[in-house]
Amino acid sequence: MEPLLVARGVTKSFGGTLALSGADLTLRSGEIHALLGANGAGKSTLSKVISGHHRASGGEVRLRDRAVDFRSTREAMNAGIGIVMQETSLAPDLSVLENIFLPELGTPGRLSFRRLRARAERILEELWVAETLPLDAEVGRLSAAQRQLVEIAKALAGDAELIVFDEPTTSLSPSEVEHLFDIMGALRESNRALVFVSHRLEEVFAISDRVTVLREGATVGDDVETASLDQGTLIRMMVGRDLGEIYAAPQARAPNADTAPVFEVAGLASAPLVRDISFAVHPGEILGLGGLVGAGRSEALEAIFGLRDRQGGTMTLNGRAVSFRRPVEAMRAGVGFVPEDRRTQNIVPDLSVRENLLLAHTGARRLPGLGYRSRRARIEALFEALDLPIHRLDDPSMLDFSGGQQQKIIIARWLLLEPRLLLLDEPTKGVDIGTRQAIYRILRDIAAEGVGIVVVSSDFEELLGVSDRIVVVSDGSSIADLPSGALDEEKLTLLAAPRTSMARTTNLLERLAHEHGGAAFWILPDAARLVCLGAFVADPAADPGFGAGEAAAFADTRVAVGLGTGCGDANGTTADGFVPEPDGSLATLVVPVTNRRGHDMGRIGVVVPGAGEPEAARRIADAVHALHAPDTDKEAA
Amino acid sequence: MNATGAGGNAPAGAGASPGASKAPSGRPLGSRLIGSLEVRMLLLALAIAVTLSFASPYFLTKANIFNLLDQSVVVGLVAIGMTFVILTGGIDLSVGSVAGLSGIVLGLALKEFPIPVAIAMAVGCGALIGLFSGILIARFGLAAFVVTLGVMAIARSLAYIVSGQTAVSGLPSELSSIVFTTFAGIPANVLFLGATYLLAWAYLTYTKGGRTIYAIGSNAEAARAAGLPTLFYSVLPYVVSGAFAAVAITFSTAQLLSADPLAGNLLELDAIAAVVIGGASLYGGRGSIVGTLIGVLIMVMIRNGLNLLGVSPFWQGSAIGGIIILALLVERLVSARTSARA
Repeated sequence: MEPLLVARGVTKSFGGTLALSGADLTLRSGEIHALLGANGAGKSTLSKVISGHHRASGGEVRLRDRAVDFRSTREAMNAGIGIVMQETSLAPDLSVLENIFLPELGTPGRLSFRRLRARAERILEELWVAETLPLDAEVGRLSAAQRQLVEIAKALAGDAELIVFDEPTTSLSPSEVEHLFDIMGALRESNRALVFVSHRLEEVFAISDRVTVLREGATVGDDVETASLDQGTLIRMMVGRDLGEIYAAPQARAPNADTAPVFEVAGLASAPLVRDISFAVHPGEILGLGGLVGAGRSEALEAIFGLRDRQGGTMTLNGRAVSFRRPVEAMRAGVGFVPEDRRTQNIVPDLSVRENLLLAHTGARRLPGLGYRSRRARIEALFEALDLPIHRLDDPSMLDFSGGQQQKIIIARWLLLEPRLLLLDEPTKGVDIGTRQAIYRILRDIAAEGVGIVVVSSDFEELLGVSDRIVVVSDGSSIADLPSGALDEEKLTLLAAPRTSMARTTNLLERLAHEHGGAAFWILPDAARLVCLGAFVADPAADPGFGAGEAAAFADTRVAVGLGTGCGDANGTTADGFVPEPDGSLATLVVPVTNRRGHDMGRIGVVVPGAGEPEAARRIADAVHALHAPDTDKEAA
Repeated sequence: MNATGAGGNAPAGAGASPGASKAPSGRPLGSRLIGSLEVRMLLLALAIAVTLSFASPYFLTKANIFNLLDQSVVVGLVAIGMTFVILTGGIDLSVGSVAGLSGIVLGLALKEFPIPVAIAMAVGCGALIGLFSGILIARFGLAAFVVTLGVMAIARSLAYIVSGQTAVSGLPSELSSIVFTTFAGIPANVLFLGATYLLAWAYLTYTKGGRTIYAIGSNAEAARAAGLPTLFYSVLPYVVSGAFAAVAITFSTAQLLSADPLAGNLLELDAIAAVVIGGASLYGGRGSIVGTLIGVLIMVMIRNGLNLLGVSPFWQGSAIGGIIILALLVERLVSARTSARA
């Protein structure tokens, strides 16, 4: 098939820096083309050249076999090319409708808002969000995922045949990513050409048909079929060398839970997002805080660190009660905090690299002088350990560094203070895979020195790989505290789902427990173990021996046989009746739950005293099937 | 902006090979000097001086040079406080009126108290007004432009009320010693100006407070997250600005031996212009005390030169305004080129 767009030997320089040095790209209609590369490889620059944000310094771009050279995004849009940007290009004070048609507001003549509204409704229907995305809502009040949908709608409103998605998944939760992929799939069906810019390999394999890999501004893997590749080959192309295991191996000896925790927080509350968060970190342990964007994890860290007012909660650090009102108090007590957003919360652009590095040192200092010289040796050792270029220490701006190097400098800023507890919010956001690996190794090394580490990450794969233990946060409350070995991405996704979207299921548990005079639970079984998503006990005699947010081996519960038999068959054919325990005291019924798309959502079970009646078993199975988890569908949307 | 921030289009950085990155430290000294804004503005100041010395034979005489320095004192002192404020990303429009009010306070206090006490009261008055503006701006998040615009009106009105709409004259003549005493032939007020600039430069460059002021103007949120006392150092510049406005008016009152409620009118414009010509960014975080000093000298030289050349005072405003805009335009074009080369 004729390619829609062909770029050959594209170069682009900013000042003296060459951002693209011979990039090739071939795009076809009806395909999703992944543009892959480490940070700083030129992915964003190439997408912006294609979409008219930047003009190429050299090379050729041909659209439908005609050479083009867009001088503005408007020209690109007229030619049918739209872009959905990393940081959205929307006007936050305008409504969704106005934003969708923002380019048209510039055309002379009167606009018919009625016609625009009808068109916008059609577009939102195409994206399946006609109900959830009100056209009159102010864009500044929307979630990151909703704003992205507005951007997509905007591209569609411009009749784009080619849509570039520039790192679209960075700020999305897993279910939002799934929804985005559904939309991208539908756009592919409608014969549009899609470019998917990413550095996350799993996503590239999940969605793309073909791949182009960039390294240091040039194409190193040109137009390869995704199916013909494996993860190792792609990583080699991206970084130009082999990478070992991405996640540093956890310590051979698990952190001893009997040792006193470095830090403990209970009942933390900070309006509006943090309601009731509790966790403890032990020396040498990496604790992950999992959950969706907006669940209150970042805010919890900020509240602990004294950046946010707290309405409740007690904290102990090294056994002493603490309550930080300002960051400097936390810092002097031995707490470090790496906030999420590098550009807005970490980097001071007008200060030199050295001063940025020493910013926390200055903040913690009591004397009026700067005392930079006293840190010289420690800085040299840290730069050496973090593989940072010491000769660039006095560069006037950090912004000339790659995202990965910036992040390492920010982490070094806190390591200089030698904290006992280090809190990190999305430490690898926008960081290339090579640096990610380095950061994981650093965290493991610091932990090995006995530091307690808390990591917030929306990337569940990363969270599972890097943490020893995971505390799941949902709607501002910590709801589970599990060793990461007991979890996988699916279980984490279900645990992290907003409580509101589970209301129907938890209501059902309560109803079943009351109706049948026992207990009801919702679990994710896995061989002979389970993770409990929800439980309700009406009769203490029927307590199954595990509660919401807990993991347990079947054998350690009070209904080992019931669970073993009930979950043994993947098809759940044993759900016809209650399974009694050998001693006859309790009987258990386990019914599989699937959502509308046939996705496995675990099992719902009911425990009753005695043997249980077949009639009750039938009624319970019906109730569970009737549930059909429409709320989990809503959650996925 | 996002391209350099998160998108990352600098392959040199990603490559991490030492030779590939073009660190400024690797550039020759000459181009580094040209790259520095202060040096470029210093060259501009020299160019103006050379031009004026050809245009008027009187310009380079010793008498006129002392005259120039003397004229720099008032705007120079106010510009120090303004530099502090602008470095945090704020602005202080009230300095002229605060100077006027502090001058009246000084004049009235001199009738009752010894000179040092009266000066302390005037400076205290300026500092208090600065504290008021600073707290409104930093603690309550009001816009600096609006707050200081309001304070500007209030201070001027109070100056008229307190003074009874007339100048306070007949001040003790000993007051003038703070201006006319000389050390090694240099007048005390010029020495004071020089010493103050040295102190301000050292403070902004070598102390925690000074660097915090830069950090606040560049990225207040990051400064706060790193434990810097951002609230205190957001208020302090307004206090400094108010106090320096009072110090400046003290010197001018000492020269005239009279305090006028209208004194300091439009002083804020000269001070802001000097700071901006000196390379400070009105968004904060960028600028220096050395640049401000050069900016002050450029402003004073132009005004002085126009007087020497007999340009009508009515045309002087247009000339100065035009030169300010031209200087900034040239600066923007030059700095775009040099940073592109870097």
